[in-house]
Amino acid sequence: MNLEPRVPTPEDFPGPSHSPLVAARLGLWLGVAFGLCFVTGLLSHFIQHPPGWFTWPTRPVNLYRVTQGVHVLSGIAAVPLLLGKLWSVYPRLFVRPPLRQPIRLTAHVLERVSVLVLVCAAFFELVTGLFNVAQSYPWGFFFPTAHYAVAWLVVGALLLHVAVKLPVARAALRTPLRRQQDGGEAATTGRDGRDSSERRVFLRTSAGVAGVAVLATAGVTVPWLRRVSPLAWRSASGPQGVPINRTAAAARIAVPPDWRLEIIWPGGRGTLSLAELTALPQRTAELPIACVEGWSASASWTGVPVVQLLRRLGAPTDRPVRITSLETDGLYAASTLPAAHAGDPLTLLALRINGEELSPDHGYPCRLIAPSRPGVLQTKWVARLEVLR
Amino acid sequence: MRTVRLLLLALGATAATYGGWLLLPQLGATLPWLIAGPLLHDVLVAPLVGLVGLVLGRLVTDRPRRAWITAGLLASATLLLIAVPLLWRPPSAPPNPGLPDRNYPLGLAAGLTVVWAVVAVALVVGTVGRRVRDRRVSRP
Repeated sequence: MNLEPRVPTPEDFPGPSHSPLVAARLGLWLGVAFGLCFVTGLLSHFIQHPPGWFTWPTRPVNLYRVTQGVHVLSGIAAVPLLLGKLWSVYPRLFVRPPLRQPIRLTAHVLERVSVLVLVCAAFFELVTGLFNVAQSYPWGFFFPTAHYAVAWLVVGALLLHVAVKLPVARAALRTPLRRQQDGGEAATTGRDGRDSSERRVFLRTSAGVAGVAVLATAGVTVPWLRRVSPLAWRSASGPQGVPINRTAAAARIAVPPDWRLEIIWPGGRGTLSLAELTALPQRTAELPIACVEGWSASASWTGVPVVQLLRRLGAPTDRPVRITSLETDGLYAASTLPAAHAGDPLTLLALRINGEELSPDHGYPCRLIAPSRPGVLQTKWVARLEVLR
Repeated sequence: MRTVRLLLLALGATAATYGGWLLLPQLGATLPWLIAGPLLHDVLVAPLVGLVGLVLGRLVTDRPRRAWITAGLLASATLLLIAVPLLWRPPSAPPNPGLPDRNYPLGLAAGLTVVWAVVAVALVVGTVGRRVRDRRVSRP
């Protein structure tokens, strides 16, 4: 046995879990997890920063709740899958570069760089995402833009990786995990049988642990798992039955005694006191608060449909509406309702939650609640509606 | 396949370049967090996993039993990783009484207890099953 300390070579890792048969399958699962994360993340980004061509439906009312739930839970599943995949390909880290062949060396270096970018970016997305769901930001960058930019890095590097590995991966995926012997019987004994069984155990464990991780957290958004998930980062309860991200104190809200809701549209203006709003025909709707952090909770909201309010005042109802809060310095002190949401009869200026008057933390005197929309855009402590051109 | 690979190559390079361009204004602040993942993994986590695997291989020679213990260890490590941001809130986190609203240490303890209870049951069931089979073989 050679006991001299040296850098290992790929041959020093004889374990069956390092086989391409395992790496390709884990890679496929990880690709699905990251793919779901990317698509749902892109949707969430477009909802918050809509390009001109983008429209987001208002039905089903739980649509954003589902897409964002898929976003965070596929990210959670990716944690053990990424670690399993990296363990499977760890020996490749020690492949010696073909120093004497310039062309092959260039290809080798390019592939190494693309894999490094992929691993850096993948870890970054999972780690920053996990800290963001806990609303903890122990870094100096702005999370939403960094998380979004690095998502493109992940996808780009992932596509490059697939392009490079496609022949190996295809061959590996076509090879059954249960090694066949010459007689057509599955090998169960001997080295071959043992290796094949260990490979299947490794894959099964990776998938199982991913399932455990999802089960341990899914309660943040799946109602019937609320009591099951020990690591769900938010409970389903809070003041008046719904959790709160930003309290009135944190937003430094002081509702003036002469508060009136101001409504502005091209060519007109109107104001309403809280008593006047309360006197208008009310509508009650069961709508979710669905946060970008993946947690969500449904509540019964009562208030005036925005479209009815606009119609009553004679303002146009087929245009986007800018909602401004009493909050002055917050990042989410204002939001724009797209025309589809502004015209939806379920989009409410809510005055009551679960049968009670809104508490200050829920947005007293009134807040916006619209179907299929991220929580950060459900502006609280509303001061003004402005119909845009 | 050649066309598909070239297409993937072009798409990938474009997407990665776009991401890099988007990241440029924040590159300085994000760089340590980008590098930390692979560095910690390759230098610390992977060797540690290998070492634990070697020790476990010496201590537990029975394969099915080792597989269950490995699964328990991996599930525990994953739960611990997921719990880190819930248990450790550096001071830069905004003070907001509405935010951390659950008992996370208790949740983690409960999760780990369930994982190891399942592993223990699997080990017992496996041992009993094997004894029953052995007895059948020895007394036909």
